[in-house]
Amino acid sequence: MTDNLVIVIVAGLTATACGLLGPFLVLRRMALLSDAVSHAVLPGIVSVWLVAHTRAPLPVVLGAAAFAVLCVVAIDALRATGLVASDAAIALVFPALFSLGVLGITRYADGIHLDLDSTIYGEIALVPFDTISVGGVDLARAAVVLAVVVLVDLALLALLWKELTATTFDPEFSSTVRLRPQLLNRLLVIAVAVTAVSAFEAVGAILVVTMLIVPAATAYLLTNRLPVLVAGSVGVGWIGAVGGHRLALATDSSIAGAMGLVCTACFVLAVLVSRRRLILAQLLPSVSRGRIVS
Amino acid sequence: MAGLTDSLGALLGLPYTDVVVLLGAVVLGVTSGVLGAFAVLRRRSLVGDAISHSTLPGVCLAFLLAGAKDVPGLLVGAAIAGLAAAVLMVGAERLGLPADTAIGVVLSGFFCLGIVLLTYIAGSGNADQAGLGNYLFGQAAGLLISDVAVMAGIGAVALATVVVGRRALTATLFDPAHAAALGLRVRLVEIGMTVLLVVAVVIGVRLVGAILMVAMLVVPTVVARQFVNRLHQVLVLAGAAGAVVGAVGALAATRAQLPTGPVVVLVGVTLALVAVAFAPGRGAIWQAQALARRRRRSRDEALLSDPHAPDRSLMDRYRRTTLRRRGLLADDGSTLTPRGRQQVEDLSERRSLWSAWLAHGWRLDLPDAREPDPHDLAGSLGPQALDQLRRLAATAGGTR
Repeated sequence: MTDNLVIVIVAGLTATACGLLGPFLVLRRMALLSDAVSHAVLPGIVSVWLVAHTRAPLPVVLGAAAFAVLCVVAIDALRATGLVASDAAIALVFPALFSLGVLGITRYADGIHLDLDSTIYGEIALVPFDTISVGGVDLARAAVVLAVVVLVDLALLALLWKELTATTFDPEFSSTVRLRPQLLNRLLVIAVAVTAVSAFEAVGAILVVTMLIVPAATAYLLTNRLPVLVAGSVGVGWIGAVGGHRLALATDSSIAGAMGLVCTACFVLAVLVSRRRLILAQLLPSVSRGRIVS
Repeated sequence: MAGLTDSLGALLGLPYTDVVVLLGAVVLGVTSGVLGAFAVLRRRSLVGDAISHSTLPGVCLAFLLAGAKDVPGLLVGAAIAGLAAAVLMVGAERLGLPADTAIGVVLSGFFCLGIVLLTYIAGSGNADQAGLGNYLFGQAAGLLISDVAVMAGIGAVALATVVVGRRALTATLFDPAHAAALGLRVRLVEIGMTVLLVVAVVIGVRLVGAILMVAMLVVPTVVARQFVNRLHQVLVLAGAAGAVVGAVGALAATRAQLPTGPVVVLVGVTLALVAVAFAPGRGAIWQAQALARRRRRSRDEALLSDPHAPDRSLMDRYRRTTLRRRGLLADDGSTLTPRGRQQVEDLSERRSLWSAWLAHGWRLDLPDAREPDPHDLAGSLGPQALDQLRRLAATAGGTR
């Protein structure tokens, strides 16, 4: 496998994992909570390094999940005092946790080859060089980790599809039939944290947030059916992965940033497509009038 | 300006560079505190987050166009990008996207563009680009006194706008429908508030960075809201809190040679948490104490009304001991002392008065409309009204 192919596959796996979860976050009005959780993952990674001096996937995922839960619990607790509105609570908690992570890196973690910039936009270009051997074949470590995460997310969706759908569209109904919307919320947050932390090393915080929100929002503009929405957001994520890689090579810039940019371009395109009638009507009133009336 | 910094430095015993940082942090704190308040009170804090992230591509584009790192030019770029983001967020919401998704899309789109531009510039080998990365996490070191002067100038104009437009701002903030009925152009005022938010972000982004700027917008207002209720007081206190947070954080960060943004944010969030926990008459701890007091009181009253009832919980047993120690229950713990009996009589008197108030209060001839305190009806109504209430209750009871 060439290095470029590995990079695209890793990015595509990230897009798949995020695209599976993203639609539910958008529909449940949790988009910015997922933003907060993706930032809160950083102190988890740093503290696992400080305590155990390891960057092995399992402890790091556990540490990051712990901080993600802490983040959500702290936001809920602040909101529950009735003294801070929920948006302000989010805006207090995640910068604080992210700051802890940033200070931890600058202060203690010279040993981690995590530098500040890579926490933002990752070091996906280095992914092909970090390989592990699975059954005698050398594979990129990030690809293996992300493939596992994709399987976990897929399993979550397959097993809890009915429950997720019901709690997403009608929380009151689902709590009357004992589907526990709150528990599913927490489960979704943990899934976001696990996805975010596994993708974090490869693609950084910002691409995780972008891949969670933008493809789902793009598909949201184009369809009203949940299965299509999920498939569409995974698809847009892949377009971003392939297109972004090309763009980054052409402009010699951050691969992760370029992938996010291509996803955003897809969103803009979706806006134009979903509004084509309105736009046409404004640009060419005489031509389109007949179509709209018919 | 230079004379001012020198004399201030002599006064505080600080070197020149620290004074510049201090002044910059105070300007940042005051403006973000006062101007951020409007976003927080409208529950649009996270719009501030998106605007802060969106300044990054503006800074980069301004650098590409100007080819040099001159601060006023970069700030203009940041402001234009921030405004564009604000407009696009409103547009995305109009498409039928949920509000938080609209914020998220604009935030990530702009920030990705910023990262692409930033890395493109870094790769282009322009020797002057080294400091652009500071706009991510903020850096107070290397701040020039001329930069501070620019920041202070913009900030002063924005604050003056707030003072001049305070009536329109207040009306739109708390009751847009009423403001519109008064003939105010509410849309225009709301746009004005967003512009003020952009100004606050632009002033702060050099020191705190695009990623963490939102905390500086939110912290001062959260702190101020725990202590005062009126808008002008909130604005003044938020400005002061912002200045303190900025000054302490920026100085600590420069001394410890850490990135400024995270240190300022941690100082600020700590202050906000302390305020939320300890604010007198409002904070979480005060609330918990008041709740515990009410619980104790109702347990005590239940125990005294029926002292022979068996204890149902540890709390009951503890309250029984306390009541015995206060001389209201006899040593066996289940008979009332004379003082305890007196207490029970007072209690039943209060309760019957309260029922009388609920049943007949509307017929009382009170000089003003008031809602009495259930625990102290006599005190809050006054003796005359109380007599009236007793008479009403007696006659009503007689005729029934």
